[in-house]
Amino acid sequence: MEIIRSENLDKIYKDNWVPVQALKNINLTVKKGDYMVIAGPSGSGKTTLLNLLGALDKPTSGKIFFEGADISKKTVKELSGLRLNKLGFIFQAYNLIPVLSAIENIEFSLMLLGKPEALRRKLSLNALRDLGIEELANKRPNEMSGGQQQRVAVARAIVNDPSVVLADEPTANLDTATGSNLLDLMDEMNRSKNITFLFSSHDPQVIERARILIRLRDGQIESVQTK
Amino acid sequence: MTKNLLINLAWRNIWRNKRRSAVVLSSIIVGVAATISMDGLTNGMTYQMLFNQINLGTSHIQIHKTGYTDNRLVKNFIQGELQLKADILRLPGVKAVSERVVTFGLVSSAESSAGIYVYGVDHKAEKRVSAISGLIKEGNYLSGAEREVVVGYELANKLNAGLGNKIILMANDPSGKIHSDVFRISGLFESFSSGFDKSYIFVNSDDLQNMLGLGNSYHELAIIVAEPSLAESLKSEIRSAVGSDFEVKTYRDILPILVMQIDLSRESMWIVNMIIGIALVFGIINVMLMTVIERIREFGVLMAIGFSTGKLFSLILLEALIIGLSGTIIGLVITGLIHIPFSYTGIDFSWFSEGLVSLGVGAVIYPVVSYQTVLLTIIMTPMIAVAGAIYPAIKAIRLQPVAAIRHY
Ligand SMILES: Nc1ncnc2c1ncn2[C@@H]1O[C@H](COP(=O)(O)OP(=O)(O)O)[C@@H](O)[C@H]1O
Ligand SMILES: [Mg+2]
Repeated sequence: MEIIRSENLDKIYKDNWVPVQALKNINLTVKKGDYMVIAGPSGSGKTTLLNLLGALDKPTSGKIFFEGADISKKTVKELSGLRLNKLGFIFQAYNLIPVLSAIENIEFSLMLLGKPEALRRKLSLNALRDLGIEELANKRPNEMSGGQQQRVAVARAIVNDPSVVLADEPTANLDTATGSNLLDLMDEMNRSKNITFLFSSHDPQVIERARILIRLRDGQIESVQTK
Repeated sequence: MTKNLLINLAWRNIWRNKRRSAVVLSSIIVGVAATISMDGLTNGMTYQMLFNQINLGTSHIQIHKTGYTDNRLVKNFIQGELQLKADILRLPGVKAVSERVVTFGLVSSAESSAGIYVYGVDHKAEKRVSAISGLIKEGNYLSGAEREVVVGYELANKLNAGLGNKIILMANDPSGKIHSDVFRISGLFESFSSGFDKSYIFVNSDDLQNMLGLGNSYHELAIIVAEPSLAESLKSEIRSAVGSDFEVKTYRDILPILVMQIDLSRESMWIVNMIIGIALVFGIINVMLMTVIERIREFGVLMAIGFSTGKLFSLILLEALIIGLSGTIIGLVITGLIHIPFSYTGIDFSWFSEGLVSLGVGAVIYPVVSYQTVLLTIIMTPMIAVAGAIYPAIKAIRLQPVAAIRHY
């Protein structure tokens, strides 16, 4: 089942006096259960692409379909609803709201969704358990290590059962062992729960796990490999 | 986390940067305290000015023969046979009435002389209408004994006369003939107004009536009512009772400049309050802008996980509202704690009271806070805080928080 499809995406940043073409003619499809990695050197356009696909930013031209619907036709409010209901995000760092504890960070989007308290607690505790960090439940982000924070971010991204999780270089700030552990967890989520993951990374650990590998160079798709 | 997500988040964000929140909070507290204290002092001062004037003799309502106020001639007297006093005393709301014989005259001692207003009063009635009897610093107020006179210290000094000394009073009778008589100083008074002390003297009405051949006629009926606010309605009641032969005036008519001054100081308070408000708005804009710019990445994350721009906007306003409300409450409590004792003991301004005394205010001011000001402070201050957060909140959305998370 198709979740995200892009058609001839272009993104040109015009806010500087020299316009930057960050993406050029991107066509790709993300399907349910995919474990896809967008790889490429720094500056190749990975973050830009993920932000477009996650409806955080708008393309200069081209179209993005989310579960068949053209997202350029959606209002700001609908887009925020889409992010809330269908998408999970994991960023490279600073994912968590500093004033909230781990479990509150996870509960947050469930609260925005208006889920009752008991259910919120249960789902959040489950997510913490799945990631093996139950003991962090009441810790604030500044009391956790980088790896622990990223695990909480993963728990938050998956707790409301999104159609796809977008992870922009999730291991970039972690050491190899911690990064590998985190990736193992996401692998496991993908296999056991059929959660769709779309990564961007230039970390070999991430790339070697990819089942679909898209290589970006200078904003263009250089190759697509399916393993 | 408990029920209300936004309130909870706002509350925690406030506690996050304690020092900064404390700065905003204290500026609001100072603003609230300043607004209320200024109001208390200005009101206290102006009411006192008015109160003093009323007490010194203006009273609440005065009745004269028509034409008297334009031309204060001795012959414009009210005939005693009319029994006006008794009629007016019967009106509900009237507390006291005093008949006064009033004329301009000259007092002289062996050394010098001065032009003054002489009031001939019935000491018993006058005690209930004016406060002069309470201002006697040496000797006694009029007792009804023959040819007593009560003068102010300033005048006594000028005449180089003291308690028990004789002074000569000269004045015209209704026909214009000059009469004079000798009076003995029985008491010296000191009021809040040096001008008053220099130019008013008090004698028994019988003596003055005899001296000027007025019989039992007099010039002024001074009335004290139960509540100053009753003065206007009683005025029209009295007017219709006494007819057009008499002028009926309230203290507002008699002291137009003072009343205007009071109104004016009220208005100038608005300007001061507005300046305080504007200063607060800018202070809050400044601080909120800082916290917004600092947290822009965090806002990006919030929005990425589905927080809407509307919620973000509300969050920022809510933070300001909470600070504004807390500041208002703390400010009111602190101001109240300082203010309430002072409203009983008064605040002594004698260190620069020269100016106040000549304005007709005492050196000690009893602050009077109007409930309108308190109510307005309660409503306006949190609104000002929220108003100050609007621009930063717009800025937060304009800065495109999602763009802020792109790099890193
Ligand atoms: N907000 C922006 N304004 C201007 N140029 C940008 C902006 N964001 C990214 N770019 C440029 O777009 C290109 C792609 O950037 P990015 O998507 O961040 O690459 P990657 O994530 O692969 O490192 C780079 O040349 C970068 O400098
Ligand atoms: Mg990037």
